[in-house]
Amino acid sequence: MEITYDSTVEGVRETLASTAGSESVNGILLLSTPDPALLSADFESVLGDLDVPIFGGIFPEILHDGRKQETGAVTVGLPSEPVVTTVRDLSDPETAFRGLLDPDLPARGYETAFVFADTYATTIEAFIEALFRTYSVELNFVGGGAGTLEAQQPCLFTNEGVIQDAAIVATLAEPMEIGVNHGWQEIAGPFRVTDAQGSTLDTLDGKPAFSVYRDAIAEASGETVTEENFFEVAKSYPFGIGRMAAEQIVRDPYSVSDGSMSCFGEMPEGEFVSILEGDPDSLVEAAQTAHDHALSGDSDPEALCVFDCVSRVLYLEDEFDRELDALRSETLPLFGALTIGEIANDGSGHLDYYNKTAVVGALSGT
Amino acid sequence: MIDRQQRIQALYEISLSIGPKETLEATADNALSGYLQKLNCSVGAIFQRRLEDGGIRYEVTATIPASPYGNDTLRAAIDHLPDTVDEQLSFVTELPITGSTDTGSHYYLMELPDFGVLVLGKRGGEIDEITRSALKPLNEKLAEACRSQLVEGQLRTERNRFEAVFDAIPEPVANTVVEHGEERVKRVNRTFENTFGYDERTARDRPIDDLINPEVETATDGSPTSLHDGSEPREVRCETADGVGEFLFRRVPVDTPDSREYIHLYVDITSQKQRQEELERYERLVENLPIGVYRTTPGPEGEFRLVNGGLVDILEGTSREEFQELSVTDIYVDPDERKRFSDQLLEQGSVDGVELRLQTVDGNPVWCEVSGIAVEEDGQTVFELALQDITERKERQQQLAVLNRVLRHNLRNAMNVIRGNTALLSDGIDDEELQTHVTAIEQRVTNLEQLSEKAGTVRSLFDQGREVNVTCDVNELLGELESEFEETHPSATMRIDEFDPVAIWADVRLKMALMELVDNAVVHNDQPEPVVTVSVDASETKPADSWVDISIVDNGPGIPDDERQAIETGQETPLQHGTGLGLWLVYWTVSLLGGEISIDDHPTGTRIILTLPRASGDRSPQAANVDAN
Repeated sequence: MEITYDSTVEGVRETLASTAGSESVNGILLLSTPDPALLSADFESVLGDLDVPIFGGIFPEILHDGRKQETGAVTVGLPSEPVVTTVRDLSDPETAFRGLLDPDLPARGYETAFVFADTYATTIEAFIEALFRTYSVELNFVGGGAGTLEAQQPCLFTNEGVIQDAAIVATLAEPMEIGVNHGWQEIAGPFRVTDAQGSTLDTLDGKPAFSVYRDAIAEASGETVTEENFFEVAKSYPFGIGRMAAEQIVRDPYSVSDGSMSCFGEMPEGEFVSILEGDPDSLVEAAQTAHDHALSGDSDPEALCVFDCVSRVLYLEDEFDRELDALRSETLPLFGALTIGEIANDGSGHLDYYNKTAVVGALSGT
Repeated sequence: MIDRQQRIQALYEISLSIGPKETLEATADNALSGYLQKLNCSVGAIFQRRLEDGGIRYEVTATIPASPYGNDTLRAAIDHLPDTVDEQLSFVTELPITGSTDTGSHYYLMELPDFGVLVLGKRGGEIDEITRSALKPLNEKLAEACRSQLVEGQLRTERNRFEAVFDAIPEPVANTVVEHGEERVKRVNRTFENTFGYDERTARDRPIDDLINPEVETATDGSPTSLHDGSEPREVRCETADGVGEFLFRRVPVDTPDSREYIHLYVDITSQKQRQEELERYERLVENLPIGVYRTTPGPEGEFRLVNGGLVDILEGTSREEFQELSVTDIYVDPDERKRFSDQLLEQGSVDGVELRLQTVDGNPVWCEVSGIAVEEDGQTVFELALQDITERKERQQQLAVLNRVLRHNLRNAMNVIRGNTALLSDGIDDEELQTHVTAIEQRVTNLEQLSEKAGTVRSLFDQGREVNVTCDVNELLGELESEFEETHPSATMRIDEFDPVAIWADVRLKMALMELVDNAVVHNDQPEPVVTVSVDASETKPADSWVDISIVDNGPGIPDDERQAIETGQETPLQHGTGLGLWLVYWTVSLLGGEISIDDHPTGTRIILTLPRASGDRSPQAANVDAN
């Protein structure tokens, strides 16, 4: 497995050419930070000229060699050829996702799937549900939301170019053990979602969502959250959607308007949500748990692949280095990205779209 | 450890996913997804139980993943499903079933009452027993939702089937519903659209009386809604897209829980009514014909099946019903003749102009001419016959035959006596003047003898009838005519213009007629050298491809007007008649051969044109020339 970091797009182009030319490489995973040069026709022609399948995405930051990088890209040469499925029109509710997925891939020996989706697409949950209904735990999934924090733009790499409003599923024969944890703890709730439209939460227990949220945080932690300081405070108090015998699924609120709250990911009407709170220690501990779970299997991994939520960086700030230390392994190379939402299962339960979660995959060779 | 609140919350959230969706599969799929998500299960399936041919089968309704048999956990669970009714009995008592695989996965089979089985599988953990027990009411709710979808699916299928039938009915149909006391259109089928010119979009929600306003012959209201429930169909006349049509209309009530609905059925009987009217007109025509039209069964006896008024009149009956009491043989003077007639018709399939001696109901003899055919009806042979009373004609023929025989016989005898006495008288007279009177008597006697012979010839003409099935080579015929002419009239000249070979339908009678014409042209000619010219051409007055004109032109004084008019009009009067039988012989001959005769003035004399049918393939020729007959 050849892992190369380049700080410039020019360097990426050269690395892509040399990696694709390597005899031991039959596919390429490209994780990059935003750069206008990546969206040029020139770069798209580079992708189109490659004679091996390429997949990947543009993320706020990437991880390489145990450190986060705000610029550049990491190129991973994969020893086996991936089956890449591109799903377009990810915001179109009429798109029949299940019909686009080949249910026989597990029977043909494929075990792992990298999944990247345009984070601004509006039906990511439906797409992930389609993945689970098709493959269940027959494939181990790892990946997350691609794009920038600023605005929607083309953010997914394929041999056809850089695309948006889409998702990519790259299936590999190599096995991968996965650890998924977040470390956020329940401090208030549960509250019933009495009115919601997609990812906008209007009411909880029949009252304006923000007032319930504000009062609950004030009561549980003494902290005051207002519309003005919402972004700064809310990053410490996400919502949790419960599952039995598993960590709650985190939903990160990012704005408030007229008493309604917008979150990354759908807020299902009728279900219950809790308010979660984290602290640096619990989050780092969760990252360590995910790392340890990924390495607990019998396989002999060749690299660690990490998709950690960019909001954890925003929350942990300087202490994010502690999380990186927890995710790192002495003997294995580490690559990955800071994503806007994570997609993963740990091989045992339901596949979900997470927020504020650390996903660690221990990728084995063939 | 799962706390109580977490469990209640998860179960409640699962219950949100259970409910009717568009189809059974969608209902099961949505619920299964809820179970797996909230219980954090890795695989699951819902099976519908089906009893078939004494066995039992579990059919997948929903499954995660999409290929259930590739997953070891699901496969292990599926292995528990029974194949036979006996296995099913013990299987049901064992439910819920819990098991695990070699890889450490756990699976659970739970009863979905009166529907099937729910299977859940979990890798790396178990569903605790309390939760499993708590799932029972949810499973019952899921089963109920699935059952309800099954029923709804069946109803949907029934509705689809009804819709298909509704549209496939080849007659106009409308479905109406009574709203606020007014019957409005809910649906119409395609035939309704085509027939009445309203498509469903424009017809929907409009009062049916606005669309269809039938005329009825009774005094009652003709509107469709005036027909009471359960009324018999009635005939109505409605305006359609193509004009007025006749319909058999029926309004059938449909019981629905919420409203009163009707099905309006309009069976188009326009053509049927037209046919019926035509039939009635035809029946009136047949009924009023002056000939008898009737149907009988075959055989020596025969039964009357149908008789018209004409037959009743001819056979002097009192009513048609009277003939139901008679057998057909009863109207025959000779019962054997009935048998012969029946056998002939059965053998030939048809008869034409058979003369029979019948008798009336009261036993009065009557001569009839019968034509008819034998037809198959419901596997039985029936005679369809037309009968004409020819008693008068037969009596006239008898009279003519007697008169002809008596006149010719007596005339010949008288002429023989006169000729003998005249010869004696001639021998005893020396006076030349007196001798000229004797010669005149002898000439008149000769003329009378010739007239008598001609009368015999005329009779023989009619004896041969109108049917001509032989062809005649006109060139050959005229050649023979010319030879005889030269022999008979050596001082006269006969010319035959050149013509293309042609054959006509004619027998020996034509030669007789032509001989008569050329004889006349010479005998009545006042020129020193009589000349007769015969020409043959395509007809000038009839279609040339079917008719031939044979023209005879002489250089004589022409035919006297009286004689010519009698021939042209076909009748003589006491004041307008010919001098003999010659031209009549020609007229009758041509007429019997199916042709026509016309007389023209000609610069040199008179032209007589015989227009005769050209021989074609629509008759079966029996001979090549007239001499063969």
